[in-house]
Amino acid sequence: MAANSLEITLAGVSAVFHHKRRGDITAVRDLDLSIKPGEFLTLLGASGCGKTTTLRMIAGFQPPSSGQIRFGGEDVTHLAANQRDIGFVFQNYALFPHLSVFENVAYGLRVKRRSRSEIESSVAQGLRQVGLQGLGDRMISELSGGQQQRVALARAIAIKPRVLLFDEPLSNLDAQLRVQMRSEIARLQKELAITTVYVTHDQEEAMAISDRIAIMNEGQIVQIGKAEELYQRPASPFVAGFLGNTNMIRGRVLTMEAGRATLDVANYRWTLATGVQVKIGEMCDAVVRPEALVLTRDGDGLKGVVESRVYLGAKAEYLVRVNDQVFQVVQWNPVAGEFFEVGQGVCVQLPTAGVQLLRVMEAD
Amino acid sequence: MTVSPGMVGMPATARPRRLMRTIGLSGIWLLLLLFIVYPLLMLLSRAFIDGGHLTFDALFATLKSPSSLRALRNSLLLALMVGVVGTFVGLLFAFTVDRASLGARTARLIDAMTFLPLISPPFTTSIAFVFSFGPRGLITYDLLGLKNAQMYGLTSTFAAETLTYFPIAYLALRPMLASISSNFEEASFSLGGSRWHAFRTVTLPLIIPALANAFLLLFGCSLADFATPLILAGSDFSVLPTEAYLQITGMFDLKSGAILSLLLLIPAGLVFYAQERFVAGRSYVTVTGKAATAAKRNSVSSSARILLLMFCILTVALILYFYALLFYASIVLGFGANYTLTLEHYRVIFSEGLPAIKDTLFVAAIGMPLGGLYAILVGYLVGRTKFVGRRAMELISMLNYALPGTIVGIAYLLAFNDKPLALTGTATILIACYVFRYSPTGIRTTIALLQQIDKSMEEASASLGANSLVTFRRVMLPLILPAFFAGLGVVFIRSMTAISATIFLVSINWSLITVKILENMTEVALGPAAAFSVFVIVVVLVVTSLLNAALRRMTAPSLRVSRIGT
Repeated sequence: MAANSLEITLAGVSAVFHHKRRGDITAVRDLDLSIKPGEFLTLLGASGCGKTTTLRMIAGFQPPSSGQIRFGGEDVTHLAANQRDIGFVFQNYALFPHLSVFENVAYGLRVKRRSRSEIESSVAQGLRQVGLQGLGDRMISELSGGQQQRVALARAIAIKPRVLLFDEPLSNLDAQLRVQMRSEIARLQKELAITTVYVTHDQEEAMAISDRIAIMNEGQIVQIGKAEELYQRPASPFVAGFLGNTNMIRGRVLTMEAGRATLDVANYRWTLATGVQVKIGEMCDAVVRPEALVLTRDGDGLKGVVESRVYLGAKAEYLVRVNDQVFQVVQWNPVAGEFFEVGQGVCVQLPTAGVQLLRVMEAD
Repeated sequence: MTVSPGMVGMPATARPRRLMRTIGLSGIWLLLLLFIVYPLLMLLSRAFIDGGHLTFDALFATLKSPSSLRALRNSLLLALMVGVVGTFVGLLFAFTVDRASLGARTARLIDAMTFLPLISPPFTTSIAFVFSFGPRGLITYDLLGLKNAQMYGLTSTFAAETLTYFPIAYLALRPMLASISSNFEEASFSLGGSRWHAFRTVTLPLIIPALANAFLLLFGCSLADFATPLILAGSDFSVLPTEAYLQITGMFDLKSGAILSLLLLIPAGLVFYAQERFVAGRSYVTVTGKAATAAKRNSVSSSARILLLMFCILTVALILYFYALLFYASIVLGFGANYTLTLEHYRVIFSEGLPAIKDTLFVAAIGMPLGGLYAILVGYLVGRTKFVGRRAMELISMLNYALPGTIVGIAYLLAFNDKPLALTGTATILIACYVFRYSPTGIRTTIALLQQIDKSMEEASASLGANSLVTFRRVMLPLILPAFFAGLGVVFIRSMTAISATIFLVSINWSLITVKILENMTEVALGPAAAFSVFVIVVVLVVTSLLNAALRRMTAPSLRVSRIGT
């Protein structure tokens, strides 16, 4: 971690917009968030969840209605964007169409009145870092979408900002380029060790790129953690459903001792290891990912019938009906002979470890 | 912490900008009130207030007088005819250029020829009509041997106006046609319909809003046209603008003139309302024309194509013929009598006519930068900032442009005749008239450019450390600079060519070329009139092509700005 990395802290930050007809709309609600020095944190959520508003408040494009934002020890809540020393990469890149690639990257340095030699070397370095060396004389309109994205990135890092902010930077690129660019962004961020906040609605992108992910819903962070924590131990049905596909298997707790619980699932006794403490007699939802379920022709497990099968080469996806519930099952490396046909009776084997249990609120 | 409910779009960098904006806003409002609202109020009060009382007696008297009614009826009839036929001709041109698979060179030629009437002084076509069809006209007298041919009246006014204004319909319709993918037609064609059927059932319904818009534009132009009827209508076919002019300059009856000009307001207002209400919101245009632009259009049969092409070529040839005639008349001793080549008329306009040329260029030179500046200021305020009365500012700034020139001219005459604002007879009033009447094009261009510039552009600049002044100077200004030059160009063209409003505002001290042309025409000094016209056309052509070239160079590659004069 570089010595100049700093921590970003949001304390009780809210954003309230005034709407003519609908009155006050709270886009971000009393949000607390701490981003460690040098960390790559992603705000993940559906559109309208407040992630972009949060990012724009960190950038200073929008003042919070209440709360405090700190960069390291400094309170920047009321600091204008141009004094916060940030690098911002926009969804539409926001490159200056009247300037060349070089001048776009040099813009921040010229504004800061750096010397000519420093500007030249910084721009050259920035262009090299994003793999655009030699394209300084081009106009923006002569570049491909991916190249424009790189210029936007170079422009943001050329001023050596304290904080890097990304607002869905890859959403305008095609799928292949998106994968390539996201690993380059991740590599560059590690190299520069600048504290980074990244906004996206793409869960795969978030998992691939981030140190930690904050999942947002209705203006609040509903869970924050590493990708594997969020995926394996979602704290709520919302997070479980948002990050990846999931089956929610409901059952009543029969026994609970020493990290092992037995659930009654439609008269089937399911014993599993869990880190969650539940009470006997309680209703629980078990979060079971499709790839954690195994289909067999017979044996111990839930009896069901295959409703559909989609063959995708590396995997096959099944929908299996068990009583009145439909389970998603993924079979990796499906080899001929192990196929299950639509209408076939199968047995769904439930995992015995690594299962996240969520208490069902009685009000439901 | 305090809650700021209105924080949308108001970043913390706004404080210095807000002060500047307040100053700018007050200044603009002051100008708008002084040069747009106040004159119109003066016009209304002159028409409807008598001895301190509101009265419509004068209006009723005017409405009862047969001559006024005739002028109103004539104006409406003429505008209707020009609107219908001009739109039709414009449609044929647009369809031919866009759908009849013309070569690039032919399309460019048609573009250039239709551009010519738009930048010419208002009398050009009329003068050429006189040269061609008048008592000593090239066609009527020399070719057909008619003595004392009667050309003045509805027919020639209508023909001249249609020829002058159909390019406006063409310009309005062509982008619409271009944006309708010919896939629609191909789809209909593939389903077994004929090409004509495809045009009638697919293309035509899609461009109906554009057709309505073109019609309303032409209707408005014809209604407001002063120069053409003044030359060609003759005494039997009076229209409102000429009638109002004669009342004021002939009878010194300002009140009747004011009321007559206000009669124009009724149809003009209806047109404006119809445009806002029925056309603006009803654009069916589907911009899915990616492939269609490259694909070869195949919308017309070969015989129809030849007919369309012939029509366009004949029309273009007619325009060319008129301009050639005008030029010819300017270099012969006496058109219709003595065809000896001479530069005498040019000597006249550069000696006796020199003051008018100097005045015109002076007014244009002062008005240009002011108009450009005013246009981007108002455009920026309206297009990029939020304040109470923004919509009102936009509407008021468009008013003098939307109103017939006769109304604006009479309103200025009434407002600035006496103290405290006795501007009549000065250059100031001419400049003000042009700036406030012809800057709306620049305002529109600014707004259109700003709409193409995402707000994130300013935020990007801020994130890189620039304050709002630096952002404006380094990012926004270069991007909207084309609008400044577009606004300036239009003010220049109109300063050189307009007459309907300024005819009321010229004086012994300050005259204009267009007014001189009119004087020459009434004194039957056709040579100098033609020479003046040629001079204006050449100057305007040179300046606009220079400006357009500059405009293309300075417009950022991904932005679009429409050509000056259109």
